[in-house]
Order: sequence, then C-alpha cells, then structure tokens
Amino acid sequence: MSFSKIKRRDFLKIMGWGGVGATLVGCDLPTTVTLEEGKEKVVSYLMPEEYVIPGVGVWYASTCQQCPSGCGIHGRVREGRVLKLEGNPASSVNKGRLCQMGQASLQAHYNPDRIAKPKIRRGSSLVDATWEEAYGLIAEKTANISGSKFAWMTGSVSGHQSVLLQAYLESIGSGNHFVHETINNAVWAKVCQDMLGDSNPRIRLDKAQSMLSFGADFLGTWGSPLHFSTEYAKFRTSPRGTLIQVEPNMTLTGANADLWVASRPGSEGALALGIANQLVSKQGLSMSGLPNSVQSLIRSYTLDETVTATGVDADRIADIAATLKRRSPSVVLAGASAQGHEHGYQCVAAAMVLNVILGNIGKTIESNGEFAYASMAPVSGNTHSLVSFSQAAADKRFDVVFFSGVNPVYTAPKSLGLKESLANIPFKVVFSHFNDETTAMADVVLPLASTEEDWGTHVAPYQAGVGEISIQQPLMEPLSTETRGFGDIVLTLLKKRKETAYEGFADYYAYLRNAFSTIPAEHKNGASDEQFWTDVLAAGLIDVGVKKTSLKVKGVEFDMPKEMGNSSAMILAPSARLGFWDGRHANLPWLQEAPDQISKVVWDSWAELHPSTAKKIGVKEGDMVKIASASGEINVKVYIYKGVHPDVIAVPLGQGHDAGFSRYAKDRGVNSLSILDPKVDKMTGELALYSTNVKVTKAAKTDDVLVRFGGSETQVGRKLVSTIPADVYERTEGGDHVA
Amino acid sequence: MSVLQHLPLGRFIEAASRGSRQTKQTVQVSFIVMLLMAAMALFSAKVNAEVPNAVPPEGSYSGIHVEQPIEFPHDTHADINEINCMYCHTYARRSKVAGIPPTSKCMGCHSVIATDKPRIQKLTEYWENKQPPLWNKVHDVPDFVHFTHEKHIKRFVIDNEDLEVENVSEVCAFCHGEVKKMTVADKVKPLTMGFCQRCHQANDGPSDCWHCHK
Repeated sequence: MSFSKIKRRDFLKIMGWGGVGATLVGCDLPTTVTLEEGKEKVVSYLMPEEYVIPGVGVWYASTCQQCPSGCGIHGRVREGRVLKLEGNPASSVNKGRLCQMGQASLQAHYNPDRIAKPKIRRGSSLVDATWEEAYGLIAEKTANISGSKFAWMTGSVSGHQSVLLQAYLESIGSGNHFVHETINNAVWAKVCQDMLGDSNPRIRLDKAQSMLSFGADFLGTWGSPLHFSTEYAKFRTSPRGTLIQVEPNMTLTGANADLWVASRPGSEGALALGIANQLVSKQGLSMSGLPNSVQSLIRSYTLDETVTATGVDADRIADIAATLKRRSPSVVLAGASAQGHEHGYQCVAAAMVLNVILGNIGKTIESNGEFAYASMAPVSGNTHSLVSFSQAAADKRFDVVFFSGVNPVYTAPKSLGLKESLANIPFKVVFSHFNDETTAMADVVLPLASTEEDWGTHVAPYQAGVGEISIQQPLMEPLSTETRGFGDIVLTLLKKRKETAYEGFADYYAYLRNAFSTIPAEHKNGASDEQFWTDVLAAGLIDVGVKKTSLKVKGVEFDMPKEMGNSSAMILAPSARLGFWDGRHANLPWLQEAPDQISKVVWDSWAELHPSTAKKIGVKEGDMVKIASASGEINVKVYIYKGVHPDVIAVPLGQGHDAGFSRYAKDRGVNSLSILDPKVDKMTGELALYSTNVKVTKAAKTDDVLVRFGGSETQVGRKLVSTIPADVYERTEGGDHVA
Repeated sequence: MSVLQHLPLGRFIEAASRGSRQTKQTVQVSFIVMLLMAAMALFSAKVNAEVPNAVPPEGSYSGIHVEQPIEFPHDTHADINEINCMYCHTYARRSKVAGIPPTSKCMGCHSVIATDKPRIQKLTEYWENKQPPLWNKVHDVPDFVHFTHEKHIKRFVIDNEDLEVENVSEVCAFCHGEVKKMTVADKVKPLTMGFCQRCHQANDGPSDCWHCHK
C-alpha cells in the first residue's frame, strides 16, 4: 500500500480512531466530571471565624430527636454543612454512642420531601401560604375559644419546649394535653409507681448477675436503648451475666439471650407467677412481703398449672427459677409484648413480684431521684392518650387541636375511628417536618425546622441518677427560609395571645439565653452568664442534679385471668424495631436500606411465621398471606422463622404509609397497627397491642419478591459456627451454662 | 540557569546593569535576558522541574477559559508583587482544600491599595453588600476522589528541606500550571487519574486505591 492510495476520508478515520485509542489508554480518559470547569460555584467566607478552616470539620454538641431517649450528639460541620453525627461522650444517656436512627437524622434534615412553606387548607387542598396568614388564621380561630374546646397532642416532650407549651395551654385555659407515643413503657411506669412508689426506677444491669426479661427489648426499643446497651455490656463482663428472654417473637435483645423462650402473648403473667411459685416452693425464697391475695395467687400457679397456662416445659420453668436464685442479684423486666394485653398491668405486676421475691428492690432496682425543675421534667407519651383523644374527637369535644411530634392518623388502629372523627374538629393545626397522614387532614400545616436547625433543651426521660439538661443547638443555617423552630413558633403564638411576659424575647434563642442566666449560681461554677452559656453549649449539657427519693415497696393486689380468650386463634404481634420506630422513620432511605436485625429484609414489610404454622397454612418464604382481624386485613409476604411462637404472626411496625408521606416510603409494605382491635389494658387504658386475634390464610402470590440480605439460615454442613450441646460441654470442659 | 530563574526578573536586570559600566554590554545582556525569557516561556514545563527532591507530573491540558465575577490578576499579585501563594490560599497547608481567600483578606490590603481601579471598586461593592463573590470553580476533581492539599504541601514544601518556601509556587504549578503568569486561573493540567498515578509512582506516593477513593 502506498501513500497515494489512502484517501483523505480514510486518513481522517484512522487519525480519529488513533486519537480515541490514545485517550482510552489507562486512566487518562477525562470523565465529564473532571472536565467541569466553571460548572460549580466556589464561595469564600466574607469574614471567617478564627477557628474555621474550609475542609476541616468542627464538632458542635446537640441533642438527638429521633426517638424520645434524648441522646447527646456531636455534629461535624464543614463549610456550613452538617455532615456526620456521633454520640456525645459527656452524655450519661448514650456515653458517646449513637444508633442507626440517630445517624439517619441527617437524612431527615436533608430530606427532599421536607415541607418548605406553611400551608393553609382551601377547600379540599392545602395551598402554600405565608407565616403571617397562618399565624393570623390561628389567632382568629383561637381568639375566643373556651379552654375545654382546645387540645394539643404531642409526642414526648421536655425542657423549655414543654414550659412554653404549657404556657400556651394556660393562656387558653386548657388542660387538654395529650402525649402520645406508640412505643412506650407506660404500663411498666404505672406498675413501678404503684409497687415501688417511683414510676421511673433505676435499673442496674451492671450489678445484676442474671436477667429475666418479659419482652423488654432494651437493646432495641425499651426504655433508653443506647443507655441500656452500654449497661448490658457491663452485665455481660466479668462475671458474665445470664440473660433469659421471654417473648412471642424474637427481638434484638432476644437474639442476644442465653435462653430464649417463646411465649403465647398474654401468658407472660402466668409464667411469671409460675416462676414465683417455684422460687417459693423449691428455692426456699420468701414471699411474706406480698399481700395475701397475691400469695395465694402464686400458690395456685403450681408447675402443672403453669405448664397448662403457658405451654412452656415444666423443666424449663424450674430451670429459670433455679438460675435466678443461683445467679443473684437478678433483675426482672417487662416490656411491650408483656404489657400489650387487656390484663397487661397484671402481667407486668407479676414480673415485678418476682423482683420483690428475689430481693432485687434496692439492689438492682434503685431509686433514680427526681428531676429538680418540675416544669422542664420529661412528659412521656403513651397510647392511652391516643384512645382517649379518639373518643373525645368522636364526641365532638374540640374546636381547635394542635398536633406536634405525632402522626396519630398513622399510629391509631383504624378501629379507633380517629381519621373519621378528625372531621369533627373544625380547625386542626399540624406542626411537622414532612407531609404525612396527619398533615393530610390539617387545616394549617406549619413547617418545622429540622433537629439540626433548631434550638431546644431536653431532659432525657431515663437518666441514671443524674439530672442533665441536654442542649439542642443549630448545627447549620436552615435549608429553607420558610421553616421555623418549634420554640419560635410557640413563642410567636404566645405573643399573638398578648402574653406580655414573652414580649421581651425576640426569638426562642433569646428566651433560652435568658432562661440560662436564671439558673442558680451553684450550677455555674463561678462563671459569668456569657461564659456559662458558652460552656454549656460546648459541653452540650449541664447536670443540675436530682432530688433524692427512695423506693417504698407497697403491696399491690391483682388477679390473673385464667381464660386467655380463644387459645387456638393466631395473635398478631406488631413488634417495634430500632429503625423505623413507630413508623416515623420510614422516609429515611438509610433505614429502609439497613437490613432488619432479625429477618434481614430491606425496603419492605414481612410477616414472621413459625415453620410449623407456615406448613399448616401451606406457605413458604416470600408467599403472600392475608391477615384478617375483626378490624381489617392486610396482605403481606411471609418470612419463615423459628424465633416466633407458633400461635403468633409478627408484622414489624413502620411501613404502609399513605402516598403523601415520602417518595422513599411510598407503596411499601403494610401498617400492622392499622388492623388492631380497639382493646385496652383495663388498668391503665393503654392499647393492648399484642391481643388482636387474626385469621391467617394464603393469598394470591404476586410478582413482588421478599428481598433479604444474607441467604441461607443453615450452615450447609460447613461448620461456620461450631456448636456443642451443653451437656457435652459440661462433661468435657466443665462450665456454667444457663441451667 | 537555575539560579537566574529563581531571581525575580526585575532584580536580575538591575544587577546586570550594575555589574557593567558599558551601555553596549548592558544592551547585550538585556538581549540575552530576552532570549532567556523566551526560552523560559517555551520550556515552562522544564522550569517546574526545578523543585528539589521531586519529579513533577507530566502532561498538559487546554481548559476552557472560565469567566469570573472579578477578573482577578494572579500575575499582579504572585509575580509582580511576589506575594506567596500560601499568603492568600492560607488553607492549603492546613486542609484538604486550598480555599478561596475570605473577602476580608482582600479588603485588608485593598481598603487602601489601588482603590481607584474598577476591579477593586467592584470588590469593595461585594464587601459592602456583605456578599462574597461567587467564583466559578476551575480546578475540580470528581466527588469520588479525595484529594488533599495539606498532604501534598507537607510532602513537597514543609518536609522538603531543600525547597525555599518562597518558591512554593513551583510546587503549586505541578497541578495548576504557572498561575502566576495568568490573570484568572485556567486549567492547564489534565488532573486525570493517570496524571495523578504517574506522579505518585515517580515520587513514591501511596498507590492504594483507598488513599484517594474513600
């Protein structure tokens, strides 16, 4: 081939390919992103703070608001953006730890579905409005309202937000404050109050040698999960404490237990009494401190009787009693699955009776003291308030209702009829970060600043013998100019009601500054007001101490129903997880993506079924079942698992939101709260979450698959984790297993 | 050559004229100087090669000229007035980003210097409105690349005992080219992974993926 035969066009082609070839070599292909000259802006500081270096993070202290536990956090801020949260080591609540919900708080802050503007209802739709219009409308509707016609429903609340909220209720002359949390310890608190004289005793897991927990998922959702996780670590070290968990479906705590006992929901009280009987009759412990009626109740729960009532093996019951006696001091706890019955109070009381018999009161269950400033003390939510609010709404008792920190239209079972009764309330104001089931019913929606943008003070509901006020401070400028902090809104509302006491405060920050200058000098270490405030902000908290209290064991009489209803029917367990919590976090993709601790399912709902039950119904993993209660039905995919009682179908909380909630939670799973029967614990009025009988049938399979992380439940003979039967271990190695 | 090019140009001419009393010789020297300058311009890449204990990265790139809100003259500052790069880009040795100097820093000088110039008047306007100028980013790497100025300045400047800190611009020029000869900066180096990788190999830089991709 000579040069003359190459045409100009071919020459260009060869050159062209050669050029591309040269560019493709190795890593020298400039991507479109490396070629982005002039596409992005770079903004300098006008006048930087001394300690600010672009690219280097500065950590600020604040308080997490993802659940009511009130953990202290540190937020890393760079170039005016908060990028990462960690636990504040100075906080006695979480001691530097932060759970996945806390980590995901950033996604609530940067969430694209946040409400950016106030909204006012015009006909059937909510339209954007100004704050002046919203405030004006609220002022108009509350101008001449009588106190009994006004109500405010909130989640758990504490600190100065609680002070302002109470001041607003007082300005209207209303005492109607409904505090609602689906995940709560309300029955436990009531039993502790009645039997120990303290609704919130201190639990010394670190001192206990053994623990019997009736559904108290203290590593997941019970009490203050991060606090108890660190206490649990102490419990498990030198010498290693023994954990026995009794619950209808396995929780994270159950998965960590030495002995896990499946209980038919409602039988926990009978089992506790049966163990008490063993402690007295076989282990030589005294029950003389208990009322006569309770003593005779315990006597009636002989081993045979208990086996009949609970279905738990006789040997196992005797073993548990022997272990608790031998590994003393012990501690007995009760949580959601033990309290969620019409006789929930009795079940928890029976657990507390064990603590009395075992002599744990004063050893592993201590007085916690009382927070010194009553007006800032934490007000913990419950479901009794949801039930009574639904009733009041149905009775048309309210003209104006505020909602903040709650989504009752989602968390209320349909059988309470709340959604329908909300129509009876002429004017509903919802404070919210996101559009949800409740904002959809609102007449005014007030968009809240995120946790990372707002000021606040919080008092954690469970603190171990200290009285810390935890500071919430903005970690960055608000993303939207049209959102407002909760404190700022309430302060403005108070001013609109011509409350002169608040006119001196330009904003909530000024109010908090003033509040901190009035803290008694003994807490200020001789610092000036300015220095004290700076110190508190840097530390993230201040311990103002507690008033000492003491536990007084009181004899409380209770009975235990022998008949547990239709014992052949399946029971629905709407179990809670540290993740979606009561459903409020389903809009955070990190939490959708994080595999469930037990089933490893992602981005979906599932129903846990025991293999034997699944066989009876004729379903295998991923098949669809219909779960029908007297109050409704849901269709959900099955996950087959041995860690669930054969009479139970467990559907964890969180999914099944209405379309308006979030692009990430849209069309995803089911809400197991929705089909619960409106049964309540007869003593406390708490919703009996674990007492709804359901009929489970195979439903038509859909194309949708159940997506789980991890594959097989077995080791396929590969000895990935070697096991050895306990008796062989004792014979060959010696040792001290659970029995 | 190396001694000459590190001497600022103005001073070099002054020294040359002082060294010779004959005008003709001075003219000849000036002619040589001009030739040298031309050579420097032609072999600017070779000029950069003079950082001790370092092999400069090879490669060039012809970026688009990016307009800026104020046509900031790097040459006036870094070349004519010999202001060290790190005087304004003070974060380079402390952080992953070199940082655009805060407006307060500009105004530190320009509240008195050259206040009659239109560019300074524009700057003053920004300052008085309490708004920093929105500069357009010229040098950028993708978000999955973790580049840190701090480590590079440490290796080539702070830990490099043979380099005078006055000559830090030669190190900056590895990746940014001769910015002190530009007004607003243009991208003249490819900043591709190959460009980085070859320099890391030549200078014993880390080669694990996670050093940059984390």
